[in-house]
Amino acid sequence: MTSASAPLVSIRSLHKSYGPHIQVLKGLDIEMKPGERVVVIGPSGGGKSTLLRVMMGLEKIDSGSITFGGKPYISSANADAKTAINTDVRRSIGMVFQHYTLFPHLSVIQNLVLAPCKVRGEKKASATQRAQALLERFGLGGKANAFPAQLSGGQKQRVAIARALMLDPKLMLFDEVTSALDPELVAEVEQVILQLAEQNLPMMIVTHDMWFAKNIASRVIFCAGGVVVEDGPPEQVLGSPREERTRDFIDRVFHIKQ
Amino acid sequence: MNYTFDFNAVSLGPLLDGLIVTLKLTVAANIIGVVLGFPLALLIMSRVSAIRMPAMLFVEFFRCTPAIVQIVWFFYCVPMLFNVFLGSTTMGILALGLNLMAFNAEAYRASIQAVPREQVDAGIALGLNPLQRVLYIVLPNALRASVPVLLTNGIVIFQQSALVAIVAVQDLMYQAKTLATETYRPIETFTIAALIYFAVSFPVTQIVGHLERRRQVMTS
Repeated sequence: MTSASAPLVSIRSLHKSYGPHIQVLKGLDIEMKPGERVVVIGPSGGGKSTLLRVMMGLEKIDSGSITFGGKPYISSANADAKTAINTDVRRSIGMVFQHYTLFPHLSVIQNLVLAPCKVRGEKKASATQRAQALLERFGLGGKANAFPAQLSGGQKQRVAIARALMLDPKLMLFDEVTSALDPELVAEVEQVILQLAEQNLPMMIVTHDMWFAKNIASRVIFCAGGVVVEDGPPEQVLGSPREERTRDFIDRVFHIKQ
Repeated sequence: MNYTFDFNAVSLGPLLDGLIVTLKLTVAANIIGVVLGFPLALLIMSRVSAIRMPAMLFVEFFRCTPAIVQIVWFFYCVPMLFNVFLGSTTMGILALGLNLMAFNAEAYRASIQAVPREQVDAGIALGLNPLQRVLYIVLPNALRASVPVLLTNGIVIFQQSALVAIVAVQDLMYQAKTLATETYRPIETFTIAALIYFAVSFPVTQIVGHLERRRQVMTS
């Protein structure tokens, strides 16, 4: 039923507020095709992270709907209604957070096999084998039995990515995954994400790293004030933005960089 | 000062007998407190107020009255109200155990609620259902965090257990009082008793300090 042109994700008029006065998302519409790598940029408080959290099913929404692969995923009629989330659909989405969120009481390999074993009922031996292979691929082969506290930030974040991939997600969400890292550790994490990009894994990335955005995006969305201000190929949005607000933002970000 | 210390007048035998009783009280009270404190913590976190309120009343009663009053009350009122008397040691264990249960329930509750929201979010993102998130993420995190507090509470009960001497449980404090009266050497007797309490408590407080430092490294 999903033909090549059918959207993977379709977000319709998404509204979300925290309390009565803080409106974070004010009617967001985004359509994402299979194989796209969407980078969301924009000022703090513009709703980027909230958008990803909503897509992961971590936040209640006021109104709007999201479909995934043609199936209804998240919807809410109004702010008082319960947000309906299809948990089966949610399981095909993976997310990596800014602060790694590895489980501190579990070793690296236990972090990786927990969900496949408990959620999908996979045999421990087979999950362990897959996990070990993923760790090797990410240059963490020797860290399987280490605990998160013994790893560097870059290593933790690569483990977190591997953990999400263990469930074979159809879409990956990356929420400022390099923001908490020391500058010299950023590249090793971005390399891993670039590796995934080569396999055409659909992803939505929130980042402040414009170099990374330019290198990984097949499409860039500039989000500010809770709405999509500009949406297009990276050369356009990052190179010669049409909207004034986008231009201001890009100028300021690159100015700081220099 | 013209007082001559004479530690030889104090025989260690009865004090060590008393220490054994004190340790039995402590271990028994800790078993009650550590095991039953946990379900009590779940009750005080219940969303159903008919469950939460009585549990909170229980906890607050023990937290907001002096332990010595609780022990005396238990010793005199429980036999009268329920027509049971279980022997002074058993009554002492029950009073101390229920007191510790209330304090440990608070320790469990605090560490469960201190598990970072992000850990739960990560569990949701990995597709774990609510029960799995509690079993595999929240509880292991929380139980580890609660260990130092449980140990501290346990050692407080070791010291509080001295209060049961007033209802004639023959613990370390009771033996010390008896010995002090017999020998007319209260200063020496209570000095030795204090040193025995210290010798048991101090290593435990050191272990707690070590665990807390290690935990800081683990979670940072």
